[in-house]
Amino acid sequence: MFNNIPYNKNIISYHGPVNIDLISFMAKYIRDMIEANQVIVNRMHKVLVELTQNVSYYSAQVRNCSGNPNLQKGVGWFSIDEEEEAFVISTGNLIKKEHAPVLEKNCKEINRLDEQELRQLKRKTRSQSNIRDIGAHIGLIHTGLISGNPLQVEFNVIDEDHSFFKISVEINK
Amino acid sequence: MKSLVINAEVDSPYYPEVYFNADTGICDIAGESYMEEAYKFYLPLINWIKEFVLNEKKPLTINFKLIYFNTSSSRLILDILDILKKFKDDGHKIIVNWYYDPDDPDVKDEVEDFEIESGMDIELQEMDK
Repeated sequence: MFNNIPYNKNIISYHGPVNIDLISFMAKYIRDMIEANQVIVNRMHKVLVELTQNVSYYSAQVRNCSGNPNLQKGVGWFSIDEEEEAFVISTGNLIKKEHAPVLEKNCKEINRLDEQELRQLKRKTRSQSNIRDIGAHIGLIHTGLISGNPLQVEFNVIDEDHSFFKISVEINK
Repeated sequence: MKSLVINAEVDSPYYPEVYFNADTGICDIAGESYMEEAYKFYLPLINWIKEFVLNEKKPLTINFKLIYFNTSSSRLILDILDILKKFKDDGHKIIVNWYYDPDDPDVKDEVEDFEIESGMDIELQEMDK
C-alpha cells in the first residue's frame, strides 16, 4: 500500500510560538528520526535551527510565554518535507510590510552569489554585526551556504501593515 | 585564579559544556551552542580568558569541540579568536584546536573563515566517534 503513495511526504509541521525548547526538540528529532546519511542530517539540523530561530526572534507576531510579557516569542510555522531528491525545510511568519523589500533584496543577493562569494558576504556581515543581535541576514546567508541551493521565498501581503514571509530550503539527498 | 566550569544540562542542550582549567591553561568548550542571547553566555568566558592571559602569564590552549554552533554563537567565537590573536601578537603562547566531526565536512570551511577573519591559526583535529 505504501508503495503507491507519491514520493512527496510531509514529515512534520507546526504552527505556533517558537521558543528555544521547541527548536531543541526539533533538532534532536532530526538527528534521531530522519533516515539519511549523517552529512545530510547535519545540514538539515543547521538549516532548521537557523530558520526557526529567525522566526522566534523576528516574527512580527509574538506571544507571551509562561504568562510573562517579558518572555515573548515569535509565532510562525515550519515544515519538514521529503521529496525524491531532497529534504525541504520551510518556515513562514508575519513580517512588517516595510521590511519585505530589504528581505527580498537580501535573498536575491544570496541566490545570485557563488559559494566563495557567499562565504565572503558571511564574513563581512558577521564582522559588522552587533554581538547582542547578530540579525537574521547572516542566518539566511549561512542557510544558503549549507544547502547549496537557491532560497525559495514568497511574500504575501496580509494587511496594510504586514506580509507573510515564507522560505523553503532544499537539502539534496 | 579559579577554573571556570559550566556543566552540560540535559534540559538545556543548546549550552555547551565549558571547562577552563586555571592550573593548566587548557580550556575546553564542548557540545552544542545555539542558546538565545549568546553574548550573555560567552562574555564571562571572554573575561576569564583575558584575566588568565594577563594575570597568570601561562600558555593557554583552547579546544573547541562543538558538534554544532549557530551563527549567533559564531559571532562570539570570532570575538574569542580576535582576543587570542591580540594576545598572541603581544607574545603570549596561545594554541587553538578545533575538533570536528568527519560527518560534518562543512565545518572545515567555517574554521577556515574564522582563521581568515581573526588571523588566528587554528589546528583542525578529527573528533573521535
